[in-house]
Amino acid sequence: MNRLFLPADNAVERALQGLALTHPDLLELHRDPLYLTGRRRNPARRVGLVSGGGSGHEPLHSGFVGPGMLDAAVPGRVFASPHNRQIHEASKKAAGPDGVLHIVKNYTGDRINFGIAAERLRADGIPVRRVLVDDDLATDDASTATGRRGTGATVLVEKLLGGAADTGLGLDELADLGTLFADASRSVAVAARAQTSPSRGGEAFELPDNTLEYGVGIHGERAAEALPNPGLEDLVAHMTDQVLGALPHAADSVLLLVNGLGATTLLELQAVHALVCEALDKRGVHMAGRLVGTYVPALDMSGFSLTLTTLGAGWLDFWNSPAHTPAFTVLEPTR
Amino acid sequence: MTADQKLVLLTYADAARTAHDVLTTLDQHSGDGDFGDNLLDGLDRVRAALDAHPSEPAFHLAATVFLDEVGGTSGPLIGLLLQEIARGLAAHTDDREGWRAGVSEGLAAIQRVGEAEPGDRTMVDALAPARDAFEAGASFGAVADAALTGARKTADLRARRGRASYVGDRALGAPDPGAMGVALLFWSLAHVAGQGDRLPDLPNLL
Repeated sequence: MNRLFLPADNAVERALQGLALTHPDLLELHRDPLYLTGRRRNPARRVGLVSGGGSGHEPLHSGFVGPGMLDAAVPGRVFASPHNRQIHEASKKAAGPDGVLHIVKNYTGDRINFGIAAERLRADGIPVRRVLVDDDLATDDASTATGRRGTGATVLVEKLLGGAADTGLGLDELADLGTLFADASRSVAVAARAQTSPSRGGEAFELPDNTLEYGVGIHGERAAEALPNPGLEDLVAHMTDQVLGALPHAADSVLLLVNGLGATTLLELQAVHALVCEALDKRGVHMAGRLVGTYVPALDMSGFSLTLTTLGAGWLDFWNSPAHTPAFTVLEPTR
Repeated sequence: MTADQKLVLLTYADAARTAHDVLTTLDQHSGDGDFGDNLLDGLDRVRAALDAHPSEPAFHLAATVFLDEVGGTSGPLIGLLLQEIARGLAAHTDDREGWRAGVSEGLAAIQRVGEAEPGDRTMVDALAPARDAFEAGASFGAVADAALTGARKTADLRARRGRASYVGDRALGAPDPGAMGVALLFWSLAHVAGQGDRLPDLPNLL
């Protein structure tokens, strides 16, 4: 039976410790409560960007701390929301002269814990706003109050907001813009094999041979639909059409994330990438920027997700602006 | 009209101990059964913090304990209420005015975080009547009566928010433990202010 190589105690703290040891110039580890802050930021930035959520999705969020992206990341236990105290302390440390912006994936626990931390910050006199990321089209069901889950688009939103924050925008402008970034993003994910259960080992759920779980979440939530594997070409064309169709605004120019869910090889992801490029090209959609790799996994799930963000005016500059983080670096405007 | 802050919290801790078993039973109907434990544990920690830091503002200490150390979702939400009461009491020389402002702000904060409305079968159903009574100029005793009445009425409500929403109609007939737990704060306030005579005794409260 497959098992994860996680230490029995403090697995998340150990992993953050390792990351901070790798990047002592970029990251500062705080242990009580547990969070990471960046050591450097663009002097023009007036608002601290703070994100966080359950662990098991690395490099999200800790790998995106650094100049040009996040100022702090707050990890919960595997697949569990961080405590409000961690978020509160990280936000106080990361706040800029115009306060702090929380980037929150749409899960009940994250919403409540970031919300409680935000009320504590208000009581401290620190201005705070929230951008909610809710891009997963598989959970777009008007009959539930919980709304779409936040998944891969979080990386794109964090980069766009980082670029925008470095232009010196104030808190309200930045929060409103971040909400537009999130609104313009949709994702869908497919899995061929569940992640390993961290508690008991073995696959978290079983799939019959040659069957795909279509519309999975990033915590091993089962999808509404299991479908016979149609082959990668047809699968990617279908996913591209579905995401394009779900975008709220006409997609002339987009950002693309081809994201591995943990156990999918770069060989596969780059093949998927090439197929998405073909599909977008055929449909007359211009791809202005892209990211291909494992950025928001569900531990070691075998599968991938596609995310598209319809670009608004000026957003490409935010995407291309310099960033230096453990998992994502933009050296200079690429054009 | 004044009520010693520390004495209110110690009375609340005693009330939570007396009500513990009933709150636990209520939460087993509608949630995961840990509300009584969390409230009692939190208030015992508050008692210890008050002993350890006798010169700190009592509600500020209590707020930090509930926000930082108490489990579940309801613990930190009660912490937000205590935080705003602490701020209200610090900002107003008149005690009643401090409570009025604190409860109003605390309710607003809890609603922003939990996105619950009155009638959703949550602690908001005790807090909103308490807020309304304060705004109408009611005494501490009348505010407690309003909070208790609101909490008891949750027995007829179907949950739309909070953990009780997962069990639907099965929670009907018994009041929401979070609403009852918050109402106990106002019961304690009324007793410390000498206005608890007409309120029910704790064993008959729930």
